[in-house]
Amino acid sequence: MAPLLEVEDLHTEIRLRSATVHALEGVNLTVETGECVGIVGESGSGKTMTALSVMQLLPPGGHITGGRVTLDGQIISTLSDDDMRHVRGNAIGMIFQDPMTSLNPTMTVGDQIAETVRIHRGASKEKAFDRAIEVLGLVGMPRPAERVRAYPHQLSGGMRQRVMIAMALACEPRLLIADEPTTALDVTIQKQILELIDDLRRQLGMAVILVTHDLGVIAGRADRSVVMYAGRVMELTGTGRLFANPRHPYTEALFEALPEKAAESTGRLYNIPGQPPDLTRPPVGCKFAARCRYAQDQCRQQEPNLEESSGGHVYRCFFPVGLASDDEVPTPAVATAEREGADRAVKVSDAESLLSIEHLVKDFPVTSGAVMQRKVGSVSAVADVSFSIQPGQTFGMVGESGCGKTTVGRLIVGLERATSGSILVDGEDLAALKQRARRRRGYKVQIMFQDSYASMDPRMRVGPILREPLAIQHKGGSRRDQQAMIDAMLDEVGLPRAAVERYPHEFSGGQRQRLGLARALMLRPKLLVADEPVSALDVSIQAQILNLMQDLQHDLGLSYLFISHDLSVVRYMSDTIGVMYLGKLVEVGPADSVYYRPVHPYTKGLIDAIPVADPQLERATREKGVAGELPSNISPPSGCRFRTRCPYAQDVCASEEPPLRPFSLSGHMAACHFPLRAPEPEVAQAAVSA
Amino acid sequence: MALYIVRRLFQAVVVLLLVTLITFALLRSIPGNPAVAIMGPNVFRDPGAIKLFDQTYGFNHPWYYQYLLWLKQLLRGDLGYSWNLNQSVASLLGQHLVKSVILVGFAVILAVLFAVPIGMAQAVRRNKPTDHFFNGFSTFFYATPSFLLGILLILIFSDKLGWFPAEGPQGEGVTVIFQNFNAMILPIATLTLITLALFSRYMRSAVIDNLTEDYVRTARAKGVSRRQILYRHVMRNSLIPMVTLLGLQLPQIVAGAVVTESVFNFPGIGYLFYTQAQKQDYPTLLGIILVVSLAVIVGSLLADIAYAVLDPRVRY
Amino acid sequence: MANNLPTSANLPPSAIVPPSSAAEAHEAQIAAGILPASKPRSAFRRGLEVFFENRLSVAGVAVIVIMVVFCFLGPFFYHGNTSGVNFAQETLPPGTGHPLGTDQLGQDVLGRLMTSGQISLTVGIAAAVLATVMGVLWGSIAGYVGGVVDAIMMRIVDAVLSIPVLLLALVIVAMVTPTETVLILVIALTSWLSTSRLIRGEALSLRVREYVQAMRVMGGGSIRAVLRHIAPNAIGTIMVNLTFQVADAIGLIVVLSFLGLGIRPPEEDWGAMLSGGVQYAFNGYWWLIIPSGACIILVITAILWIGEGLRDAVEVRLQRR
Repeated sequence: MAPLLEVEDLHTEIRLRSATVHALEGVNLTVETGECVGIVGESGSGKTMTALSVMQLLPPGGHITGGRVTLDGQIISTLSDDDMRHVRGNAIGMIFQDPMTSLNPTMTVGDQIAETVRIHRGASKEKAFDRAIEVLGLVGMPRPAERVRAYPHQLSGGMRQRVMIAMALACEPRLLIADEPTTALDVTIQKQILELIDDLRRQLGMAVILVTHDLGVIAGRADRSVVMYAGRVMELTGTGRLFANPRHPYTEALFEALPEKAAESTGRLYNIPGQPPDLTRPPVGCKFAARCRYAQDQCRQQEPNLEESSGGHVYRCFFPVGLASDDEVPTPAVATAEREGADRAVKVSDAESLLSIEHLVKDFPVTSGAVMQRKVGSVSAVADVSFSIQPGQTFGMVGESGCGKTTVGRLIVGLERATSGSILVDGEDLAALKQRARRRRGYKVQIMFQDSYASMDPRMRVGPILREPLAIQHKGGSRRDQQAMIDAMLDEVGLPRAAVERYPHEFSGGQRQRLGLARALMLRPKLLVADEPVSALDVSIQAQILNLMQDLQHDLGLSYLFISHDLSVVRYMSDTIGVMYLGKLVEVGPADSVYYRPVHPYTKGLIDAIPVADPQLERATREKGVAGELPSNISPPSGCRFRTRCPYAQDVCASEEPPLRPFSLSGHMAACHFPLRAPEPEVAQAAVSA
Repeated sequence: MALYIVRRLFQAVVVLLLVTLITFALLRSIPGNPAVAIMGPNVFRDPGAIKLFDQTYGFNHPWYYQYLLWLKQLLRGDLGYSWNLNQSVASLLGQHLVKSVILVGFAVILAVLFAVPIGMAQAVRRNKPTDHFFNGFSTFFYATPSFLLGILLILIFSDKLGWFPAEGPQGEGVTVIFQNFNAMILPIATLTLITLALFSRYMRSAVIDNLTEDYVRTARAKGVSRRQILYRHVMRNSLIPMVTLLGLQLPQIVAGAVVTESVFNFPGIGYLFYTQAQKQDYPTLLGIILVVSLAVIVGSLLADIAYAVLDPRVRY
Repeated sequence: MANNLPTSANLPPSAIVPPSSAAEAHEAQIAAGILPASKPRSAFRRGLEVFFENRLSVAGVAVIVIMVVFCFLGPFFYHGNTSGVNFAQETLPPGTGHPLGTDQLGQDVLGRLMTSGQISLTVGIAAAVLATVMGVLWGSIAGYVGGVVDAIMMRIVDAVLSIPVLLLALVIVAMVTPTETVLILVIALTSWLSTSRLIRGEALSLRVREYVQAMRVMGGGSIRAVLRHIAPNAIGTIMVNLTFQVADAIGLIVVLSFLGLGIRPPEEDWGAMLSGGVQYAFNGYWWLIIPSGACIILVITAILWIGEGLRDAVEVRLQRR
């Protein structure tokens, strides 16, 4: 049967004022009816460009300069814009990454969905409206008849994405293109949306192109996968085969840079050196050669063509890795989600805790009022959290939006003042200090931000940026001594000393994160709060930064509070993991213990929801995850805050808040009335003998 | 939404009170004897009158008492008395205000009616000849002081071409205006062109901003035509900042009206203000300032309400 | 750029295991940090570049320079009769001895143009600078301190802004005898408001920028925040605003003079020249208003072009990623 969509030798250029970006050079792929094809790659790989080229929605200056795209036998790449209009939203639907900005804020959700139906089906206003309600129900929107009149800002992120999907599906397209559909969403919602897309695909017999940078998403949903790099297809095959037997060095390198792979072997992440090539001046030869550890002269002179192995495994490489025949690959044992084995050696508090948080509370007032701004309520951002961090250890804090993990970080470094509770650093309670004293004593705890670009004054050069902390705290002595410290720090983080003359904007994302680290470490803090330090980076760059952080920890004896929504990164980096939900710490303990033997239902749901780069594991967790939406933390649920989404909730969960109690002697604690497993016997014994 | 309106209303009242305070301060800072200032130099002939004046207006009391007295007066509708023109300020305003409202009303409506399509056309054909042409047009009218524009229009259309008279419609009452509507054309044109220059620039940049928003990309992905995107999605979202601009620019527009009226001898309150300023008729001047400020505050309030109506993010 | 990237040719092809020794890891990391070979350009210079790429802005600067030279240096070279009434020579058309004719008082128009220009420009620029200083102070205090202080300060601004500038200026001018200095003060007093609103907005948004927060974590205080981070980053906006203020101020002084309430005789500025010449213009004496009118339009247009060029230059700096 002929494929539904065929992309043949597609070339796309973007003509800017000063240069031309060769975004795509010779992309080939096919999509069969009803199948899901995943396109995976990092930024600049061309995956989004491919999707946009199919829809002829290229940015200004973009043109298809070669090849063709065929849909159901009809060539669509040469259609005029007017003709293409009839294809868009009709035969092909597309959804984008950020549902908040992708929806018109001044039109109701229903109107926006109905618009497609009225354009393509010529339906009347009433009929289109009815169809909108119907489709909203199809995508799982609760109470669709009510919600259809809502405005986008009144809905949550997950709901908005459902609306986007509804808009794309309203005219029953043959193909749905999803460009990073879940990247902006919380993990548990992400899982729901991906499930939804899968279900709809089967229900409607629709094909799906799933564009993403997340290998875990591909592993779980795509039948076939395409790996792109620098505007080219590097590898294309069935998903299972791709993960079991990658043939292209880039794919292999990517897998080795993933934290989840490294965590299992407790090795270092493979660090793909360098950066993706500049597509305004594409290099000669294989585009990956400059960063490939197997590259030979031939690779740098000639570009390899796509080769196909007997089993239909396509790759573009002169010296492919892996096994020549996919059949020889031994089927890996299904990785068990639970694993026996000793916890990683955990240094339990024989050393004095470096950081000790006790009953930390932070409420943000919510003001309203016609005349004066009166406080009508408060957002309970952090509601009685207690934990501690040992010297030289990494404490990983995970949770979804609104859980309070970022607020905890900000409280520790002094960007917010606690409503109550204590923050003890080396025995000294920072929360009790007055402003000025806090400023002077706070140097022991520093912060590294997610976006190092925004956190550096764009008008300052790197030298002054790094000198500023020393100047503020009057450390470092003379100018020359300070300069020496700056130079030494640049060496530590792997940046050339000449960087002092440059401005932050001249660096790449990964380099800027290094700068952020450097600046945070200038005062030689004992604890570094890292707030989503690698979330904005590509996987290959991420690995560089994570390795660097580990090296620094080893060299300088640092402790980290590693805040992230990405559980696999946290698991890789942390000795201890804390799980937060709506301002409460629901589970805390040694990393392996929490990850492999979770006690709290939310933790388990979170672990199941996170896409892992392992197709079989993904299939095993298909139906799992966490249902429902995050409640608001202005009026959180009574008792246990998780009970509204918990499959095991009972009456007592609403009336009584479960305390944090120990489940093992290694410090694994959880707050639940109906935990997933009972505390280990030693705990009860210890309690008795205490 | 109701909450929003109440809050804005309250703010407006506070601002209005502050305006009265400022006006009062101005009143009190007029150099020389206040009695002379209010009643004119002839009052020296009658010392009794000065004493009466002081008692009536409470000048022998502390200033806050005077302020409250004056405020009470205002609330009764008594804006003072113009000795120069021998009329109560309130009645003066009553005669002249309507004419100015008509002038400003026409100008604003025309300016908006033209600014919207011009701004959109410029944005869609960005950096092309159409854009440059209208850019030059709006720069010229923005840079030219209103009186100069008025004079130029008179020179060309009245003097040389003789199409329109050089003076605005004279005489009492509103009907006079519509009988001599010919004479209104140039004044309205002057005020419109000045306002149009600013509004079209704003509209242009609002539309350009909206065209690069993500929801436009989504609309295209749905198959909506460029025209429909422009009119159904972008235009509405671009009008929202325009409404705010209208509220903010009201004082400027009124100032423009003052000048225009002076150039065309059009008997609105602007012209009244101009003539009385030369005669130092402070009661009238301050009365006009109060009324005009009130109009601006009310206009601004209405603009904010319109904004809330247009933008659901504010409403809910 | 490809040749700057580290080559894995340094590593043996068969090396599958990532570099394990500290030295190699170090080297790989340094290699990862190689910078693009661009010359470091300060934000200021980049802004200047963008400004001068804009042809209109350059033209604006040229016009202003010419105008300043014309008005302030011109009288040294051209000696027209600019003072002293000479009715015998009144309203002569342009011709020998008087390139732009004479006005209704018998004075040479070209000469008058220069001296009037001095006044218009001086008052305009001085008033704008004063207004900007006042506005920046008021706005940054309100924006940075926030809370009740901010609310009060801004309500005052709202109130005064509700009164059209012209009316306020007219009233004040009616009360006091307007010398040049007084006029500067009056215009400044009525113009500083919009600047303060703008600066307050800037201060508010800059206060919560992440780099200010980062500085706090390092232990920096409010003074450092304002002096080192907020003020320098607000300068661009202030400069742009100042430019537009100059345009507005010149416009205002010209209007005031036209209405007879600005510069009083025997001093004249361009507005007064226009006011004097209006009546005659309707009878064909075009040289009594066209030259001064043209000067006004030219100067204000030039300033607008400069202002817009500056605005683009400032935005480029802010958006550099």
